[in-house]
Amino acid sequence: MIEIRDLSVSFGGVRALDGLSARLDDPIVGVIGPNGAGKTTLLNAFSGFVPVASGSLTAFGTDLLAMAPHRRARWGLRRSFQTEEMVDDLTVADNVRVMLDALTMKPREKTAAVERALAFVGLADQGRLLCAGMDLYRRRQVEIAKIVAGSPKVVLLDEPAAGLQPNEAAALRDILVAIPETCGARVVLIDHDVDLIAAICRSTLVLDFGRRLAFGPTGEVLRDPKVKAAYLGLKEAA
Amino acid sequence: MSALEARQQSAAGTDGTGTLRLIRLAGLVATAALVFGIVPEVLGSLWLKVLISAAIYGLAASGVALLYARLGLVSLMQVALVGVGGWVTLKMWHATGLPFEIDMLAGGLAAAIVGALLGLPALRMRGLYFALVTLMAAAAFQIFITATQFPNGGEGWLGVSRSAPAFMPRPLLATTDAAMFRYVVAVAVLCFLAIEACRRSRAGRAWALIRKSEASAMAAGVSVAFYKLAAFALAGFVAGVAGGLLAATIGVLDARSFPAADSVMLFALTLVGGAYAFLGQAITGLLFRAVPALLNDVGVDGDIAFLIFGAALLHALITAPTGIAGQLFGLFGRLIRLGGRR
Repeated sequence: MIEIRDLSVSFGGVRALDGLSARLDDPIVGVIGPNGAGKTTLLNAFSGFVPVASGSLTAFGTDLLAMAPHRRARWGLRRSFQTEEMVDDLTVADNVRVMLDALTMKPREKTAAVERALAFVGLADQGRLLCAGMDLYRRRQVEIAKIVAGSPKVVLLDEPAAGLQPNEAAALRDILVAIPETCGARVVLIDHDVDLIAAICRSTLVLDFGRRLAFGPTGEVLRDPKVKAAYLGLKEAA
Repeated sequence: MSALEARQQSAAGTDGTGTLRLIRLAGLVATAALVFGIVPEVLGSLWLKVLISAAIYGLAASGVALLYARLGLVSLMQVALVGVGGWVTLKMWHATGLPFEIDMLAGGLAAAIVGALLGLPALRMRGLYFALVTLMAAAAFQIFITATQFPNGGEGWLGVSRSAPAFMPRPLLATTDAAMFRYVVAVAVLCFLAIEACRRSRAGRAWALIRKSEASAMAAGVSVAFYKLAAFALAGFVAGVAGGLLAATIGVLDARSFPAADSVMLFALTLVGGAYAFLGQAITGLLFRAVPALLNDVGVDGDIAFLIFGAALLHALITAPTGIAGQLFGLFGRLIRLGGRR
């Protein structure tokens, strides 16, 4: 259970998030909105990369804002970035292993957790390859492996399928859907691909100008005239 | 892409059974025999001293290379940290008379602490601004050491005697030049192995992520501040140990041997030699100390070396980002493949 309460983030005079509140209960929650609506800012507030002006962020009863960014990660907050962040001169396994380095687990458990995570994304036998020269789809696979390794509690995905071919995106979708039941984490998914959101998110939060435009079951939200107006740039029917 | 394939192969360990591993092993044994067996026996005292100095500065360069290759940081204060290590080593010996190894470790630790403290700005700055901070630190050390000189058994806290300077004796294991050369190379190899062990462990993974992006490092639970300072401490440590070795070779140190300009030169030559492999740092040490001596030996002013280094630096920056070592490895890889095809 993730609770966003009255969250505000400002950059100078711009209010990137403006008193946002939402209670995310479902295993996978979508976040959509036009460009500049504050989707990535919301993720950065979770991660601790932007200063939060006011409000609170709690997950499973833990106050996230009280922790330094790297401590949030150790607590179980995982995220992906819009651009993939694989390190070319590390092996696939080491790219995943780094997520577990700060956790208190026995080395053998860590190795097993890395293998489980790689098997989950379909890279079981490729742990010893270097990431250099890998195509985007495999990099996205490694990224998901990083996220599910160990014991994540909250997973934030920022356009995980960006730049992929349709067939690759479909394959990735199957992996994403399985995250909550595999590792028990709650997933927050940002994406512009409304079909993807509709297919895998039970509820969806729509942002516009840093505010909550709509929030609820995905089907209802997507039929909401206000949401359509924001996406298509139409004037709202008064 | 062939170099990449070779790296993929070696990372996957698929060459394990092949001749490549055998060739590598043979190369290592041959190098060890050359360095430990032949070189100290055939070279005269003058050239041995040059090579000792080259090995010492190669060791110091490994710290510069660590910061540059792993974190992308430009440190222009390494020679000053060599001086710090030398100062503490000499002070420790004159004050306590403990065995050299302990004095040298104290010098390494002191330089590690100073290096980490001066690395603090790197938590906020990067690029040119951080490089400038390190350059100013090197200049400050130059002024400081010119004013205070190195300890040589005199009275007082600074321990400088103008009338009757005392020499720190060489370590018991290395009283001759040949033994000292072996000793220095052995210590350098130990330090290289320590750095390599760090690189292959948790610290190396953390450094790799920090270099990629600090945000992704934090998102992976890496304490960016801790691992940056750890890299500075490690770079400082090897500089301090190099300083201790330098002091042991001659018995005293000269304040004029630690100008800020040498720190800049050591950084430049680290790029020329190659920051990504220890062979590169061996080349850096030879360029830094042996090339000027070689030029002097054939009757050319050693300062001509600066011209050569300038051209070499341009070459490294424009065409060889992995330095001479990278080019040698590339050549070696091509030869192996040519041989394999036949």
